[in-house]
Amino acid sequence: MLDKSRVRIHVRADGWEDAVRKAGEVLLDRGSIEKEYIDNMIQSVKTMGPYMVLMPGFALAHAAPCEAVRQSDISLITLETPVDFGSVNDPVSVVLCLACTDHSSHVDHLSRIAGVLMEENKVEQIIASDSEDQIVRLFQQAQP
Amino acid sequence: MLKIQTVCGFGCGSSLFLKLKIQEVMKENNLEADVFCGDVGTCLSTPCDAIFISEELSERVMERAKVPVVVIKSFVNKKEVTEKTLAFFQSLNS
Repeated sequence: MLDKSRVRIHVRADGWEDAVRKAGEVLLDRGSIEKEYIDNMIQSVKTMGPYMVLMPGFALAHAAPCEAVRQSDISLITLETPVDFGSVNDPVSVVLCLACTDHSSHVDHLSRIAGVLMEENKVEQIIASDSEDQIVRLFQQAQP
Repeated sequence: MLKIQTVCGFGCGSSLFLKLKIQEVMKENNLEADVFCGDVGTCLSTPCDAIFISEELSERVMERAKVPVVVIKSFVNKKEVTEKTLAFFQSLNS
């Protein structure tokens, strides 16, 4: 559901913009997006507001489907030091980065990930993980 | 079937989390509705019986919406989503 190449832990980020950028860079390195998509995500938070900080400690960074997305993909990073987005759910330590080519092809995959994330204490367990493998396992356990 | 539209900026990320949360609440309370995602730009022209939306985005649709607009501050806060979903269903009966 979320393999090791999509996860990075204890990433250093200087503020929320940098945190979104670092989460996006995982997808950039995988060849799933163009750099432009990262700028779009940062712009989205500025224009839409920080409602993307969906629950305490957790933000979902994404922008509209566009040509800068080569393939739908998801990455997850944890931060060495939490950052503030200006949300009631600050400070944020986990950033999930979503890129999609359209409005529907990623939905099943994201629904499964969302289901895991919304389980009780799951965000805390992700923050406490000290290896990428540990996070990958948290998501594997939930697979039916 | 009652149609509930969950709305975020682009209709493909946050609104999906809210949709899952509402479906969880409905299941626990034996309620039925078709819940689907929408984006803030087009949600008003999509037929539905209610719009569930974030506080930040609600200002953009509140005045023009022809269906009830339910403002959710935290999309996956179980307590808030439960209270507001149940209140919406109750409002249909009154």
